[in-house]
Amino acid sequence: MTTLETLQDILIDEFDLTRERVAPDAELAALGVDSLDLLELMFKIEDRYKLAIRDDVPNDLTTVRDVVHFIDRLLAAQSKSAGSGGADRHAAT
Amino acid sequence: MSTRRVAITGLGLVAPLGNSVDELCANLVAGRSGIRLLDIPQRDGLRSPIGASADFRGDAHFAAPRIRMLDRVSQMALVAAAQAVADANLKFGTENRDRCGVSVGSGMGGAESTDEGYHIIYAERSDRVKPYTVLASMTNAAASWIGIDYGITGPNLTYSTACSSGAVAVGEAARRIQSGDVDVMLAGGAEAPLTFGVLRAWEAMRTIASPDPRDPSASCRPFAGNRTGLVLGEGAAFVALEEWSHATGRGARIHAELTGYGLTTDTAHITRPTVAGQVGAMRAALKSAGLDHGAVDYVNAHGTATLQNDAVETAAIKEVFGARAFALPVSSTKSMHGHLLGAAGALEFVIAVASLERGIVPPTMHLVEHDPACDLDYVPNRARTGVNLNAVMSNSFAFGGTNAVLIAEAYDAQR
Repeated sequence: MTTLETLQDILIDEFDLTRERVAPDAELAALGVDSLDLLELMFKIEDRYKLAIRDDVPNDLTTVRDVVHFIDRLLAAQSKSAGSGGADRHAAT
Repeated sequence: MSTRRVAITGLGLVAPLGNSVDELCANLVAGRSGIRLLDIPQRDGLRSPIGASADFRGDAHFAAPRIRMLDRVSQMALVAAAQAVADANLKFGTENRDRCGVSVGSGMGGAESTDEGYHIIYAERSDRVKPYTVLASMTNAAASWIGIDYGITGPNLTYSTACSSGAVAVGEAARRIQSGDVDVMLAGGAEAPLTFGVLRAWEAMRTIASPDPRDPSASCRPFAGNRTGLVLGEGAAFVALEEWSHATGRGARIHAELTGYGLTTDTAHITRPTVAGQVGAMRAALKSAGLDHGAVDYVNAHGTATLQNDAVETAAIKEVFGARAFALPVSSTKSMHGHLLGAAGALEFVIAVASLERGIVPPTMHLVEHDPACDLDYVPNRARTGVNLNAVMSNSFAFGGTNAVLIAEAYDAQR
């Protein structure tokens, strides 16, 4: 499953949206996803990809595609520094 | 007393024993109790795992994205307020919105969100506190969401005076209408305290009733010789208050008139009630209503079932009503719906108004063993129906000392 599909599934599930509405160009604000919702959304992303990203969410993510690119950048960085232990930050939960 | 009269045109509630005024009244008249063994996490860690929960699920009323932002206390407040708005047939789209306001009483605000946040931090040792924790738990969240939902741009107020919060919110709202600041107020109280952390804290104060070993629903026994303390409950109750001519001008049905509101403060101790403080509040309410004590037909007592409250309240009622006190029906409906803390005063005022309209006097249940210090007519164990009521009083006395008393009178166009 691609990052886009994963994010779309989460958005559909958590925000009562249809698949048609969560197109890559869709603006988060238009989907009813505000800045605090986006932070909560990141918890789901963390769980899905074993990432620790909460403190690093930029404030210029405006479309679904922006979020996909952001996640992909983190995944790429994580695979480079694999074994550093950062991904286990939330192991206790 | 101001010449601007306050009409009660809408009632709404989410409570143990009913999510509508009709359902609740039917259960109160039947003497049913909503108190039960609670089904909550860590229940085994409580000495008294009892409470009066509302049959309420937020997801039946709100979509998932909205639920995330709403603590249970706000969910119940929004549903109860919506009932009051519908009952009053108010349309805020056509109202002058800055002449309308919201007034809510809550002791603890979003207690579940607070509890959950602390659990994540201290028990799970995680840093994943939900981003909405502050907005869900802040005490004024319920009032704010009501204002947002209806676009009400006048005063939006939250009162937190512990167990009298709901009565204060209703009384202060009436004052705002009387003063001429506003024409319409949605006023009430909301509380959702049935979490492990809150229950444990109340237990630690030794004020919670022991569970009745044979029948948990009979654990709260106000005015009885074998009373052992209060039982916490959850819910929300609201009234729509309107300036009289505003209500009659749009042809609204008027449930009753809010005529009396009295407020005093006990300063003897943070928890200990005083006869003088309660007497003062009842007399102030009578005075603001322009009523002689002989005109009151029913008192919905604070009646928590703590040793202190019930004896002190009885003495205060005797001082205010004199010899007539013994012929005056005084009941504690907390025996059935429990103590809703910041919502208690609002719920019990709604019950008093509904009693006035229906000609009923709800009972004090589980009152079998006599306490010599409690010698009034508490309407023991059996409701009275077909009673002619013209004026009813609702008492709310709080930890922290704020005593609030409300009086409602039957509809009278000529007053």
